[in-house]
Amino acid sequence: MPDFEPIAGRYLTVAIDGVDHRIFLEEAGQGLPLLCLHTAGADSRQYRHLLNDAWVTERFRVIAFDMPWHGRSNPPDDWWLTRYRLTTAGYLATIRAVWQALGLDRPVVLGCSMGGAIVLKVAADYQDELTGIVGLESAAYAPGRYNELLHHPAIHGGELCASYTYGLNAPTSPEASRRENWWYYSQSGPGVYQGDVHYYSLDWDAREDIKTIDTARCRVALLTGEYDYSCTPEQTEQAAAAIPGASLTIMKGMGHFPMIENYRDFRPYLLEALKQML
Amino acid sequence: MSAEAGPYPGPDWMERYRSRVNADRELGIIGRWFTATFMLTFGENRHAVKVVEGRIAEIVAAPRFDVRATFGFRAPVEVWAKFLSPNPPPLYHDFFAMLMRVPAFVLEGDSLAAMQNARALHRMMNIMRETGAPDA
Repeated sequence: MPDFEPIAGRYLTVAIDGVDHRIFLEEAGQGLPLLCLHTAGADSRQYRHLLNDAWVTERFRVIAFDMPWHGRSNPPDDWWLTRYRLTTAGYLATIRAVWQALGLDRPVVLGCSMGGAIVLKVAADYQDELTGIVGLESAAYAPGRYNELLHHPAIHGGELCASYTYGLNAPTSPEASRRENWWYYSQSGPGVYQGDVHYYSLDWDAREDIKTIDTARCRVALLTGEYDYSCTPEQTEQAAAAIPGASLTIMKGMGHFPMIENYRDFRPYLLEALKQML
Repeated sequence: MSAEAGPYPGPDWMERYRSRVNADRELGIIGRWFTATFMLTFGENRHAVKVVEGRIAEIVAAPRFDVRATFGFRAPVEVWAKFLSPNPPPLYHDFFAMLMRVPAFVLEGDSLAAMQNARALHRMMNIMRETGAPDA
């Protein structure tokens, strides 16, 4: 027998704000839907350990999709006439479109970095239709990552974006895992990481929205690594302080990409958060 | 780091650093296009690092103005000491982290040239950490 993993990948056409998008998603498991959002300039491969974790997949239907422009999801028609710029509204519409197309009933939405940010807005806007959110490296406001040189014709964007994000890992995380994330980052299309951090650094501000989250209706677990300098522990602490009932965990020896940089050490934290959702 | 100990990080450390860079397998693969002179400034103590195809050909201590550099990194000694410590505190563990969060750590000169070499430069700066703390 071939040594297959239990992950299955598929393509789905979904209308986002009235425009069809061909989306790639991968999933494993059965149970409560767990929709996973990758980081800026990356794709759903970051969730391969979570998708292969039997404890998780015995309890959750885990789904990770590539955002339009990322991984194996296409950009929309006429993309060559578009400067890619993610926005809060567009990001939210994409998540909602995939969620509805798949008919997910009271899912848990889990996201990291820009995904960990937007789950706060998902919770604020859709708290009656969710079981909860798990925010990895979540900030309600996160300026400072945008940089003009991230997309420049005289610079290898893949190598710059991958190196620019490499130090966001904890120095103590296994080198092979940190390098794996480097590899994923090196593969994003021109300007895609920059377009994502344009949202994250310049458009994103949910400091008022999060005050409306009622954790009796939508559970909230926030986990941030101590070495994260994009979303620092202090930034997540500020978000958690504005959401009564949210659980907050600062993960020792962890950086900005827990699910891929060091799954072994992340797993106990993750399982505690997921148990809160069951 | 006392005054009696001499300038930080000291010539022995700089030589160990150069040897380590020049023996690095990864830079042997990715360094081919990295040819530039960059400055490392520890407090008032400047070094010009002359890189040819990913190897350090020469480190000039206290260079005069006839040594031209394309870009450089400058920070107070106490910032470098955190970066080079065995267990660097968060925000001091990576040069990109310091560029974002440690205002006293600066990239001087032509940042385009620096970022054109981001991969090899990042590796070279991480080898500073692998060289060990200068006081050790």
